[in-house]
Amino acid sequence: MSGWDGLRHRLRTLFGGRRADRELREELAYHLEQSARQLEARGLDQAEARRRASLRLGSVEEVRESALDARGWRGLDDLRRDVGYAGRQLRRAPGFSAATIATLGLAIGAATAIWTVVTGVLVRPAPFAEVERLAVVWQTDRRTGTTREPMSWPDYLDFRSRGQLLGQVGALSSAELSLADGQGDPLRLTAILASANFFDLIGVRPLVGRAFTAAEAAVRPFRVVLIGEGLWRRRFGADPAVIGRTIRLDDGEVTVIGVLPNSADFGLDQIHARAAYHAPYAGVGRVDIWAPIEGTFTGSVRDTHSTIVVARLAPGVTAAQASGQATAIAADLERAFPGSNTARGSNLEPYPEVVFGPTKPVLRLLVVAGVLLLVAGVVNAANLLLARGAVRAREIAVRTALGAGAGRLGRQFAVESLLLALLGGALGLALAWAGLGMLLRLAPADFPRMEEVGVDWVGVAASLGLALLMGLLFGMVPAWQARRIDPMVAMRAEDRAVASGLGRFRRGLVVAELAISVTLVIVAGLLVKSLTEIVRTGPGYRTHDLLKAEYQLPASRYPRDFATFPRWPAIQQFSARLLEEAARIPGVSGAALANAHPLDAGFTNSFRIVGREAEAASWPEISVRVVSPGYFTTVGLGVIDGRVFTESETVDAPLVAVINETAARRFFSDRSPLGQEINWWGITRRIVGVVTDERIHGVAETVPPAVYASALQLPMARVLVLRVSGDLGAVAAEIPGLFRRLDPALAIYGVEPLTATVMATVASHRFALVVIGAFAVVAMVLALLGIHGVLSFLTATRTREIGVRIALGASRGSVRRLVLRDGFRMVLAGLLWGAVGAAVGSRLVRSMLFQVAPVELSVYGAVVVMVGVAALAAMWVPARQATRIEPIEALRVDG
Amino acid sequence: MADRRTDVLQGTFDLLVLKVLSVEPIHGWGITQRIEALSERALSVNQGSLYPSLERLQRSGWVVSEWRLTENNRRAKYYRLTAAGRSQLQVERSEWERAAQAIRLILRWEGA
Repeated sequence: MSGWDGLRHRLRTLFGGRRADRELREELAYHLEQSARQLEARGLDQAEARRRASLRLGSVEEVRESALDARGWRGLDDLRRDVGYAGRQLRRAPGFSAATIATLGLAIGAATAIWTVVTGVLVRPAPFAEVERLAVVWQTDRRTGTTREPMSWPDYLDFRSRGQLLGQVGALSSAELSLADGQGDPLRLTAILASANFFDLIGVRPLVGRAFTAAEAAVRPFRVVLIGEGLWRRRFGADPAVIGRTIRLDDGEVTVIGVLPNSADFGLDQIHARAAYHAPYAGVGRVDIWAPIEGTFTGSVRDTHSTIVVARLAPGVTAAQASGQATAIAADLERAFPGSNTARGSNLEPYPEVVFGPTKPVLRLLVVAGVLLLVAGVVNAANLLLARGAVRAREIAVRTALGAGAGRLGRQFAVESLLLALLGGALGLALAWAGLGMLLRLAPADFPRMEEVGVDWVGVAASLGLALLMGLLFGMVPAWQARRIDPMVAMRAEDRAVASGLGRFRRGLVVAELAISVTLVIVAGLLVKSLTEIVRTGPGYRTHDLLKAEYQLPASRYPRDFATFPRWPAIQQFSARLLEEAARIPGVSGAALANAHPLDAGFTNSFRIVGREAEAASWPEISVRVVSPGYFTTVGLGVIDGRVFTESETVDAPLVAVINETAARRFFSDRSPLGQEINWWGITRRIVGVVTDERIHGVAETVPPAVYASALQLPMARVLVLRVSGDLGAVAAEIPGLFRRLDPALAIYGVEPLTATVMATVASHRFALVVIGAFAVVAMVLALLGIHGVLSFLTATRTREIGVRIALGASRGSVRRLVLRDGFRMVLAGLLWGAVGAAVGSRLVRSMLFQVAPVELSVYGAVVVMVGVAALAAMWVPARQATRIEPIEALRVDG
Repeated sequence: MADRRTDVLQGTFDLLVLKVLSVEPIHGWGITQRIEALSERALSVNQGSLYPSLERLQRSGWVVSEWRLTENNRRAKYYRLTAAGRSQLQVERSEWERAAQAIRLILRWEGA
């Protein structure tokens, strides 16, 4: 009872210090007043009464102080004194303090930034209800070995009606639409066609309005859409009255019936990126328009694979059971539709696996690197504090001898290192903040949810906690050292007695630091070599002077009437004028059109060679590229055999095709492809040439077999490719005007130098490389500081010994060797352990290595030489100091 | 006027404060007045030590305080005895009586 009242009182005075102080003053004032009044009543005048009253009470300040004393403010005062003392100590050794704070800051900063990214991407709950019950049902192709293809629409309907274990089954597909509402340039929108049940399936409700009904979904062309939150805010000022409004999409009018939150497109980028080929999709970014799929896709055939199927497994059904049923349905379809479904199986992949699968190795790498750097930082800080503790051994001894209690000393050291830790933690947070921005900018565009990663307060709290924990731990070190110090020994300056045991421990720490940094440097080296290889290999043509721009011709004004295919005059005229006008832009030395830019995988199709129909069953699909005749020279593809297209080969001329080197090797290994006839979509074309490969799947990926058709005979172009002899930026600036002159209502996008496109395809490599590289540099600097510090320390403690050696006739060279030998032993051990660490660690990056073996001797060798030289430099200063020791002074020192 | 009053004995001040507070809550000035009045002005309170003493008693949990209005409508801090303070008063009181008895015994001694 009394304990409780007393405790409450203490807490109140401790935390309400200022208020308690004010109250005490008020109380004393009251006392004084009453006392004075009493004296006045006895006949004294007012002034005299006041004087006597204060005399009786004593000085207000004095009473206050003794009351405060009784309150236990001593403790706080002591603390304040300790902090002041610690601050002075830290200022007195600025090198040590700066190094420790920087070390802790870097380690904590890196760890916090990485933690924030990892929690933001992986740990934060998905916005879909029970996302682990969702799965993507892919189609497989045993001939090509692809395991992630979208389905055909009829296949989807069969899966939907027969897959009871699959539970709820929905479909989606991507589309590109432009919004022309008379306000500014037409806007190209990312659109997703989704089945009416899709939003229910993922468990996301519209922010405003409603989703479409089954009846609305069946209408063709669709009359209603939902818009994405981003477009809603951007274009409509987040106005709820947008519901019911009519907007013009691709020259057609539709009504907005709802707004979907950003979370609705969770994972869609990743699904599209993982699909074996993508349909035209703006790819990255938020979905602007959600339109019904049913009306658009009804009636499409089993050969066209552009339906992505998502299922929410029925309650209680395991993924294995659902997968079994999907496989059974696929087998039934294969029997029922031998043409379209031959060799087609099913692959049920959990939704989170699709979304996070490719990201996990990179994130794992980041986490490992972050932890390594954190360990290196902690080790370095410990090393610095140990050195400092040893240097202060004498101070501690003197103070112990003068009667400072072990507790008091311990407390002071704890305060000192807590102060260091807090400063380091603050620096770390600032660095984490900056580093996070850098990570987010560098991250590959297909990293899920990066745009939502924000400062994570758990991470901030964790890193501050970590800093404090480190502070407490390190606070123990000097105090613990102090306990082992015999004041008599320490005061006689027998530093060696203090140093010898520590030396071994600190050498171990330095070796650990070196090993970590060597590991990181080697892994970074492997990544550098991979990236160099990728850039050296290139996409198969020169990229530095190429520029691309993508556009879209709305079907309303550029009709695609399949009855008259391929005579589509509107499209043909537009293409011809576009090429003509583009060639006139100053600086343009070549212009070409294509259906997919040189780094766009485009689409594939099944095909056959006339006369070899039987073989076609075992052949993979072929990438179909539609290009204008000038494409090959513009992009710089070599002609290996035969010729390419001519301008005179229009729809009226015999249909021709060109294949790439890989296709020639794969399908015509034993004969010449020239003159052979290739057939897809029921149309036969004669092969007239073979060209060199373009790495359309990305520089680090293998080249698929491809066939080229002339855009003059197959009007499907939607990309302009320009070769520029001069300033790319100046030409790029001309492009919007170029299209506006031809058709002011077209949306254009993706205007960029092809080098930028190439870099985007290696974004994961670059991301990992920059992060690991930065960490490696930091770890290396820490390790070199460590070597330098330990050798300097050891040299200093051996001053007398070395002085004696020199006095006895040892040469300066032999003294230098003595110190260097000590250092090199650490370096060798560090290199050895680092190489072992790298051999293990490079497993983590194996998926990111391109034409580089995990144990690439050239990289290991280069790192060994580099670290050796750097270490020598770090050791040189202490070694030289040792040779400068003057025997006379050395013997006098500390005598 | 010559002041012949005695200062309160060291160590007994807390006891007197507890005793005064055991009757009713009262403010600091009131405590000094009450002690002087009850001792028929024989004892004078060293006012400088009153507030530290009150602080000590509060920390021990024997006394709690609160702000109240006085009879003339002034704000003053009133101190009140807690249950723990009441039993502490019993303890100190019996200790004091034992000590006083001992001192009396010694003072009565006439030599043997």
